[in-house]
Amino acid sequence: MMMKKIFYMALAAMPLWLGSCSKFLDKEPLEDPSAESVKDASAAVAMINAAYQPLQRPKLYNMRIWSLDIMAGNSAVGAGGGDDGIETIQLSNFSTGPDNFSAVDLWRGPNPGILYCNTVLENVPSMDIDPQLKNRLIGEAKFLRANYYFILVQLFGDVPLSLVPAKPGDDLKPARVSKERIYNEVIVPDLKEAITLLPRREEYADQDKGRVSKGAAAGLLAKVYLTLKQYQLCIDQCNQVESLGYVLNADYSDCFGGEPRHKNTAESLFEVQYYGLTKAGFWDDENQANWLSTYMGPRNSGWVGGGYGWNQPTAEFVSQYETGDLRKDKTVLYEGGPLFDGKAYKSNMSSTGYNVRKFLVPLSISPDYNTNAANIVVLRYADVLLMKAEALNELGNTAQAVDPLYMVRQRAGLTDKKSITGLSQADMREKIRHERRIELAFEGQRWFDMIRWDNGQYALNFLHSIGKLNATAKHLLLPIPQVEIDANPNLKQNPGY
Amino acid sequence: MKNQGRLRFTYPILMLSMILICLNSFAQQREIQGTVKDENKLAIEAVSVNNKGTTQQVQTDRNGHFKMTVAHGSVLSISYIGYKTQELKVDNASIYNIILVKDNTALDEVVVIGYGTVKKKDLTGSLASVGAEAMKDKPVANVGEALQGRASGVQVINSGAPGSNVSIQIRGLGSINNSAPLLVIDGVPTDLSLNALNPNDVETIDILKDASATAIYGSRGANGVVLISTKKGNKNKGSITASANYAIQQATSLPKMLNAQQFASQHNEMMANNNNRQRPDFADPTLLGRGTDWLDALLQTGKLANYALSYAGGGEKNTYYVSAGILNQDGIVKNTDYKRYNFQFNNEAKQTAWLKLGNTLTLSHDVKHNGSYSVLNTLASLPTQPIFNEDGTYSGPGNEAIFYGDLRNPIGTAMLEQNTTKGYNLLGNIYAEANFLNHFTFKTLLGLDYKAWDNMTFSPKYNWKPIPVPNSYRSESFNKSLTYLWDNTLTYANTFGGGHEINVMIGSSAQNNDYNYMNGSIKEFLSDNNNQLNNGLLDPTVGGSRNEWALLSFFGRANYTFKNRYLLTATVRRDGTSRIASANRWGTFPSFSAAWRISEESFFNKNDFWSDVKLRIGYGVTGNQAVLDNYAASARLKTGQYVFNGIPVSTLYPLVMPNPGIRWETIKQQNVGIDASFFKNRIQLTMDAYIKKTSDMLVKMSVPITTGYSDSYTPMINAGEVENKGWELSLRSQNLKGELVWNTDFNISYNRNKVVRLDGDVPIYYGYQSHTIGQPVGSFYGYLTNGIFQNWAEVNSYAYQYQGADPANSTAPGDIKFRDINKDGVVNDYDRTYLGNPTPSWSFAMNNKLSYKNIDLEVFFQGVSGNQIYNANRVTLEGMYTIRNQTTKVLDRWTAEGTSNEVPRAIYSDPNKNTRNSDRFIEQGKYLRLKNLTVGYTLPEAVAKRLHAGRLRFYFSGQNLFTWTKYSGFDPEVIGGVDNSNYPITKNFSLGLDLRF
Repeated sequence: MMMKKIFYMALAAMPLWLGSCSKFLDKEPLEDPSAESVKDASAAVAMINAAYQPLQRPKLYNMRIWSLDIMAGNSAVGAGGGDDGIETIQLSNFSTGPDNFSAVDLWRGPNPGILYCNTVLENVPSMDIDPQLKNRLIGEAKFLRANYYFILVQLFGDVPLSLVPAKPGDDLKPARVSKERIYNEVIVPDLKEAITLLPRREEYADQDKGRVSKGAAAGLLAKVYLTLKQYQLCIDQCNQVESLGYVLNADYSDCFGGEPRHKNTAESLFEVQYYGLTKAGFWDDENQANWLSTYMGPRNSGWVGGGYGWNQPTAEFVSQYETGDLRKDKTVLYEGGPLFDGKAYKSNMSSTGYNVRKFLVPLSISPDYNTNAANIVVLRYADVLLMKAEALNELGNTAQAVDPLYMVRQRAGLTDKKSITGLSQADMREKIRHERRIELAFEGQRWFDMIRWDNGQYALNFLHSIGKLNATAKHLLLPIPQVEIDANPNLKQNPGY
Repeated sequence: MKNQGRLRFTYPILMLSMILICLNSFAQQREIQGTVKDENKLAIEAVSVNNKGTTQQVQTDRNGHFKMTVAHGSVLSISYIGYKTQELKVDNASIYNIILVKDNTALDEVVVIGYGTVKKKDLTGSLASVGAEAMKDKPVANVGEALQGRASGVQVINSGAPGSNVSIQIRGLGSINNSAPLLVIDGVPTDLSLNALNPNDVETIDILKDASATAIYGSRGANGVVLISTKKGNKNKGSITASANYAIQQATSLPKMLNAQQFASQHNEMMANNNNRQRPDFADPTLLGRGTDWLDALLQTGKLANYALSYAGGGEKNTYYVSAGILNQDGIVKNTDYKRYNFQFNNEAKQTAWLKLGNTLTLSHDVKHNGSYSVLNTLASLPTQPIFNEDGTYSGPGNEAIFYGDLRNPIGTAMLEQNTTKGYNLLGNIYAEANFLNHFTFKTLLGLDYKAWDNMTFSPKYNWKPIPVPNSYRSESFNKSLTYLWDNTLTYANTFGGGHEINVMIGSSAQNNDYNYMNGSIKEFLSDNNNQLNNGLLDPTVGGSRNEWALLSFFGRANYTFKNRYLLTATVRRDGTSRIASANRWGTFPSFSAAWRISEESFFNKNDFWSDVKLRIGYGVTGNQAVLDNYAASARLKTGQYVFNGIPVSTLYPLVMPNPGIRWETIKQQNVGIDASFFKNRIQLTMDAYIKKTSDMLVKMSVPITTGYSDSYTPMINAGEVENKGWELSLRSQNLKGELVWNTDFNISYNRNKVVRLDGDVPIYYGYQSHTIGQPVGSFYGYLTNGIFQNWAEVNSYAYQYQGADPANSTAPGDIKFRDINKDGVVNDYDRTYLGNPTPSWSFAMNNKLSYKNIDLEVFFQGVSGNQIYNANRVTLEGMYTIRNQTTKVLDRWTAEGTSNEVPRAIYSDPNKNTRNSDRFIEQGKYLRLKNLTVGYTLPEAVAKRLHAGRLRFYFSGQNLFTWTKYSGFDPEVIGGVDNSNYPITKNFSLGLDLRF
């Protein structure tokens, strides 16, 4: 009967146990911090760090942005054949449709960055942290947000605008906002504010080098003004960059290597930073290694980690180098050119006969496909000089354009100043355009330049001249990805797609 | 031991009988004897023989023999569990031979309904019950496979790979997210895969289908509940069984690929059409011959061996069932195999008159070599490439990079790379059941579900083109999941005068899960043979995480029966889950059902035709919480990494838009049904019709991307609705009795589902499929083809596709015309439309069992209809746009005007996008197959006895022997309706034996 007693006691105890279990259902996430738990300075800094991270992804600088040089006709996809790189092949054949993955990536790439900037701008101002740090963080967020929107409006035209993090209940199906409004209300004012809030680059401690600074913001604003054809304002910003102490590196290649000394150099205004070793995959969003060397190394050569033979310069592009231009050997691998890491290039290593050399990192520095720590330069002083030259020339000050142009050419070993002196405005325009193509080759600038010049007519003329007859005016903007239109019927497709 | 045990328990009964005999001695008494056998003429031991109207009872001995002293004219009742009770009037004869017939009417069968059991005849909801019969003697590796076609309304789709799980759907797709039913094994709700069980250990599978039956599982009952009960021993009867089965396996059908010569011609044409360079060594394709048959090199004849041994039995107060099993399968893809080891320990003991204690325990361990193969890439590999180089190493594709394609030698990777998963499962419970105050039963059950699994991949380094692996590489991951459960139920059952029976149960359940994992990898080993994580040289990585959930529930059920005629059941469950924010974490799930046994009414004229008729009606509300992330409601930030100047820094960012209002999906289901038996229960029919409405279905919020939240972790909101309507019929018939026994089981189900509402009614597109209002869940979506452009005039006058100035990169003759549905002169995404339904609307099965003397035969047909399959393999294998081998279908390709109106031209890079989602790759998915054919032979009793066996049966069994289908791929059984050639389904031929002592 003892057992029966125990049993009745257990039965009687049950309601007690049930009463005590309200905590039983409270489970806090063990891996992810809750939004309420982060209020201090280190969290604020981590939040701005996050706003940089989408730059690193293949959706932007690690793949899709440099691939725009292929669309611009500087190079061919190369790759493995088959449907390897098919989305870029479609871009470069101008048979792009709204299902193109490359367009999807470029559309999606900036949006997380914009959200993370907005998260900083929503949370940091009310945080109880050092005001100087607070200003810097706001300045960084404003710069990054402007850069993300600048990419979007150049590629897609009008885009939806979001200035605060979306919350449940918000309108999640925004229509596209005119790109003029985005320039006037976001990109330009954000950059102006960033210039006032951000420190000069030398004010950053060593471990913070590579964060955006006053100079980066001025340089980007110069580019925005150039794009908007506000040439005098562009020149003002170029001068500001110059006054902040930016100079050209002695060697053209110094910006592109995989060693620590190649990071954040004197010439560099803004770079996407890489750590190197990653366990994330090629298409992941998380911490990435630099894929440029991995992708562009001659296919199956074993010369670099990876080596997938992407982005093969065309013969037409290589033929554009002037005699004596030192940049050719530093940019392109060609048969008979200098050895790479002790090895001689053969033209049958690629289907065009050329490979990109500019970003290749030898095995001694990056042994595997996922170990390359080279940064990707977004904005450098040579670009600023060429912007200044272009703006001066467009304002009719062709003679004043010679000096900045010459500085860039001089480093390339093209020291004959007379060849660029006394030119007509139109001839000077051609010179500067040629110079941008060569100087900034494969850095993802060419497409943006081509669609900027002559309102895009330059791009169409050039593309037709190299046999890309499919290209029409509609291709100056990418299609809005159909998956996005399906999800948000308020998005209207760009004309012609 | 065994004999002693039996004696001990039969002795008192014999004593009792003797006393009774004495008491009755003044009547005309005489001794009779008899033998009880089953339909197969096998003696049955431990059959109860009762002298009706007395307490006199004996049991048969090992030879089925009994002796009894009874009065002339006495009526003997002979009963044995699972057999129909027979009555026999004692006449002048003194020897009686009794054949007991299996109780196929099964009306008295008890079925498990969740926190209790009920007699099948008293069911008010919709339930399907599958017995051990369906699992015995079949060359199947797991319980799920054996379920296929055995119950109406239950769809099971196989996945072919060794050790992989089946997909089960009950009554259609209740949700676009997760439509898998809840699995409960011996009372423990578990996410264990059905694979982990030894089919020989399963006694019954009861499948709760309608909401009045599943509502007792509340927030987890929405998609039906599969209740598995493992075997228990029989009282007073010991047995040892051994079974062995050995099967060989082959692919059901193989695609025909181009040979080297045909491929080279196709390749040349494809390159020329795109103005690409010609591959020099393909200049004369006729020199190339047949080339390599890659698939043949990847496949082998599979083997499946299954051995099981069990002993079971019990005394008056206890029962036990213990078993061990080994399954060993070599897949039809080389280097894929599966081994499983099982133990089962089930005990129950009546400790005192009022207290019963028991346990079940399943231990299983499995080792799965997943292999490193892609069937699709194997098919696509170039027939012009040999498998090996002349020096015996694996070949690369040779030639210039532009002609490579990017396929690694598929045989090389299959042979060299390792990918192994090992699982360790412990699932069990301990329970106590106490009866008190005559009518009350209290049961408490502690359940434990512990799973650990680890995965290892290793690849040696190799340098074949096109993609070398420069470093050897190992990665390992370790996962464990621990769930504990505490259930308490209190049941009151009573019968009152005037035919009132009531049964009321209330209970509580608490369940908690803790899951964590850890993984690591490293590269470059000195030797491929010593490749532990400790030995690696480069790039070590480590990762891991942990999460938890808990569920707390209170529930109750009341049954009321009046005169066996009117049956009412009401249930309610209240569930609280940790996955939902505290404001709305509790939900209540009620149900109600009623049945009317019309055949018990006085006005109902029971006759030879009508035996039993019952009408049922039910309604219930259930939930689906499996779709919720463990922390779905929390506003979370993710941490990540960025870097400045070479120094890593932490990042902190919002990944998903929080939705604090998130809650479970709700399903409301109505059911009407009829159970009827005819011809003295020889034909039993069950028919149900239902409407199942899912509301609050979680759907991805539309427009996630411009918000900046992750495109891979989309926030969800409760905004969708799905409706399923259908009916099911199952029929069970004893066609012939006697020497030749013939039973037929037939079932057919029809279900139609459609999406009723989505967030903002915006369709959700994914892959080849979409969820669109008014169409079935996951319907195929894309363009309609409209023939082939035969000439430039047709191209130029047709709606704009990709017509352009560069003919090698634009639409041209030989390309597919797609329909301009909205007639706006442009074929674009607005011309996409519904192409087909991936889910069968009809499924049917028929099983015939015949036995004649010692021979038995089972023929089982199963099929589905009303569905389409998107044969995605054909995108690659008939696309003719890239350097991949193609099927022989492309021999009919368009080459000049009038050559084909179906298969387009070959052109590299496919400028017209002939391979876009379209009806070109949609095929009818219906099939009928001879799922199983079994022929068995049982040794005559006398022979078996000489071998000291109680029963010995040999059989041949074939699985998936013939399939009637129009489907052109490997097999029409495709999980999810999109065929990516994951692993071919096999047909199996097996021999087996079954031995019982």
